[in-house]
Amino acid sequence: MLKKNNQPQSISELIQKEKIQEGQLPPTLSYTLQEFEDCSDLTHRSFPQKKVDILYFGNLVDKDQLERDVFQAVIYTNMDTQTALSQSQFIKVVDSKECIHGILAGGAAVFYEEQAYMIEIAAPPSRAITPSQADPVITGPHEGFTEEASTNLSLIRKRLQSSHLKVIKLHVGEITKNDVYVLYIKDIVRMEFVEDMKQRIMDIEMDAVFDTNMLLQLVEDDVASIFPQYLTTERPDAIASKLVAGKVIVLMAGSPTAFCAPSTFFEFFTSSDDYYQRWLIGTSTRLLRFIALIITISFTALYVSITTFHYEMIPESLLLTLSESRSRVPFPPLIEALLMEATIELLREAGAQLPTKIGQTIGIVGGIVIGQAAVQAGLTSKILIIAVASSAIASFVIPSYEMSASLRVLRFGFILIAAIYGNLGLALGLVAVVIHMCGLTSLRSSYLTGIAPLKPKDWKDIFIRAPFSMLRTRPSQSKSTNNVSNKMKR
Amino acid sequence: MRENLSAFHVTILIFMIQFGVVLFNLSQIEAYYFGMNGWLILFVVFAIVTLNILLIGIVYRLGNGRSIFEIFEEALPSIIRIPLYIFLTSLWGLLGSLLGKQYVLIFQMIAFPTSSTMLIKLLIDLLGFYLVSKGIYTISKASSIFFWLVIWTAILFLFLMKEFEFVRLTPFIFREHKDYLEGFFYVYPAFLGFEFSLLLFPYVNKKSKLIKSTFLGNLLLTIVYLIISIFSFGFFGYHLLKELQFPMIELFACIQLPFIERMENIIYGFFLCTTIITLVFYFWSAKEALSRVFPKVKQNTLGIMIIAITYLISFCAQVLNDVETWLRYLGYLEIGVAVGLPLILIMILLLQRKRGGIIDK
Repeated sequence: MLKKNNQPQSISELIQKEKIQEGQLPPTLSYTLQEFEDCSDLTHRSFPQKKVDILYFGNLVDKDQLERDVFQAVIYTNMDTQTALSQSQFIKVVDSKECIHGILAGGAAVFYEEQAYMIEIAAPPSRAITPSQADPVITGPHEGFTEEASTNLSLIRKRLQSSHLKVIKLHVGEITKNDVYVLYIKDIVRMEFVEDMKQRIMDIEMDAVFDTNMLLQLVEDDVASIFPQYLTTERPDAIASKLVAGKVIVLMAGSPTAFCAPSTFFEFFTSSDDYYQRWLIGTSTRLLRFIALIITISFTALYVSITTFHYEMIPESLLLTLSESRSRVPFPPLIEALLMEATIELLREAGAQLPTKIGQTIGIVGGIVIGQAAVQAGLTSKILIIAVASSAIASFVIPSYEMSASLRVLRFGFILIAAIYGNLGLALGLVAVVIHMCGLTSLRSSYLTGIAPLKPKDWKDIFIRAPFSMLRTRPSQSKSTNNVSNKMKR
Repeated sequence: MRENLSAFHVTILIFMIQFGVVLFNLSQIEAYYFGMNGWLILFVVFAIVTLNILLIGIVYRLGNGRSIFEIFEEALPSIIRIPLYIFLTSLWGLLGSLLGKQYVLIFQMIAFPTSSTMLIKLLIDLLGFYLVSKGIYTISKASSIFFWLVIWTAILFLFLMKEFEFVRLTPFIFREHKDYLEGFFYVYPAFLGFEFSLLLFPYVNKKSKLIKSTFLGNLLLTIVYLIISIFSFGFFGYHLLKELQFPMIELFACIQLPFIERMENIIYGFFLCTTIITLVFYFWSAKEALSRVFPKVKQNTLGIMIIAITYLISFCAQVLNDVETWLRYLGYLEIGVAVGLPLILIMILLLQRKRGGIIDK
């Protein structure tokens, strides 16, 4: 190897090497074949009588289009090859990198003499548009994003027929080279947000990024935080509404999820359904979710705190029932609570991993049988079962899966600190969480916008879903230069 | 672009710095020192505090919103300045630390009497440091959230309305009072905290309406104190009230809901939110003053130094009585600072103006 390296290189070899380094090497068949060496899924069709070679990945191209636009148009025709290749579907390429990228993207490369042409005939396998599993709604559109970025973009364009909707294409992953699309509406969005997001995506230097959920972790403001900082969704209508609200949207090829930035903590408690139902129903549901937030975090922790330290807080009538129920339990409340919380989490995870029908059965059987058996066996009290089940159900009321999961983890922290310092511990935990959230930002914009900094005009779309006639401005967090979104007279 | 504190945030911040655990025995102090309808003294204190805020307003106007430290640095030699900064750091650091300890000791009267006071205080101080390290804007944002987390407890008084009787207020004013001056020096510290608007000069602009916001913060505090005091007088009556150590805790203990009662410890827990803002602001102010003495030392290092040293000093005050005695004397000094600091600054600024050092913007 050493000897080979020491051999003097010819001038042409040196020039070629330099060109490769600069990425300016003209596309040649031999170089392209060398690049795809050992790629058994690459199809190489050679037609010596026409002096034509065609390279493509058989499983990435549309077979009919290949037959019609390449073979029929170039090979099985009486036309002169050079004339055939001057048809509009063929694009001449001058850079080998471009040629290789085109083949990888599902195109076919046609080599004729010293020239190379690309034709876009990509038809990678993709699934049909189906309702989103992650963001189901009762009313409103049911279309969800797919893994195909072009489909997703078309779903958004279909809803926002405006030339102001801009799409910036970027790439992430040194090996995967995934396409990432940054979307915004010109004249509504604050361009600092777009530039910041673009820069963050361009700064990613990782071999592979497979999904939007992975990407967003790479562009978060605080990676150590327990809270998700960007709202994700699989719904094109939700994305369209966020774009109109002046947010920046990021989509990625190969992922059915899009995320919007910046996001506030309160956005994670909203759902498209709120807007499709009448405002009073939407408001009630939204308030219910905030009650669910309190229940998720505090119910089990309060049980532990009260039964460990503050029995005096329970009214006499309830105290008898609780004491009777607790009297058979041999563990301290913390162990009892952790046991049940862990069981609930196991059931939830099992339900999520198994096919839907089996998952449902596991949930019902597990919930009823284990809960009942645990009480009868004296491992836990009935009231704890109610507390744990209520807080688990409440966590599922929160529409964002990421936020719901974060709150469930946070709940364990509250349980532990409640077991150490009771209600004082809960207060300490609450203060710590609030301080953390106050310092948190989403795309350098306060995570708690609406309350801190206080923006009362946002409240009508944070805590309630006011009638549309009252929702006249875009959210403060967007800092939009064009703030009015509704000019209706009534 | 530098962020500025909004008028609302200044109002809430000042309110939250002023508002603290003194609330729990304020009505008892009023009853003990000022006798029947002692809550009327709040109007007098409010008026004096307003005058004090006006002094701060004069400093703000004369100094064109410059930082008070800059004013000192232009006028005073380091031999006077550095001891002054060290004095302010020590005073504010100790006040912050002891307020935290007072909160813990009062909590231990309700629950966890055998737990280590200093361990709980350590947790509170760590949270304090966490917030101090995040800077003034996060402190202001946190104060807004904590404001909502505390203010809702006022709704709970509705459950006690049926026990309130106007006849318990009596028609007498200040009958059976004790020493007015001593009483005044007990009540005035309950309003302390407004003087920190002096340190907010560099963080506000004209839109923040600093002096108006400080006044509104103080007004809000006075209204809250008035409601609670009048309610306490009407609930307990003067004679019982002056005998109770912490009437507010007793009030909360009387609330009974179908699923929960004796809520004083959970409500008192919520008051950690206001205590933490008060002590954090004392620590932050101490750190600001010390950073002028050691400009090259990192802000977080100074913050942790102040909190650690004052934590160790707070070991000396072992029981609630000790802490309250320390707080009383430190409170006297802080009253001096609240009045004296603006007066000194006004003198400096007038002298500078006389010499033509300041040009009005």
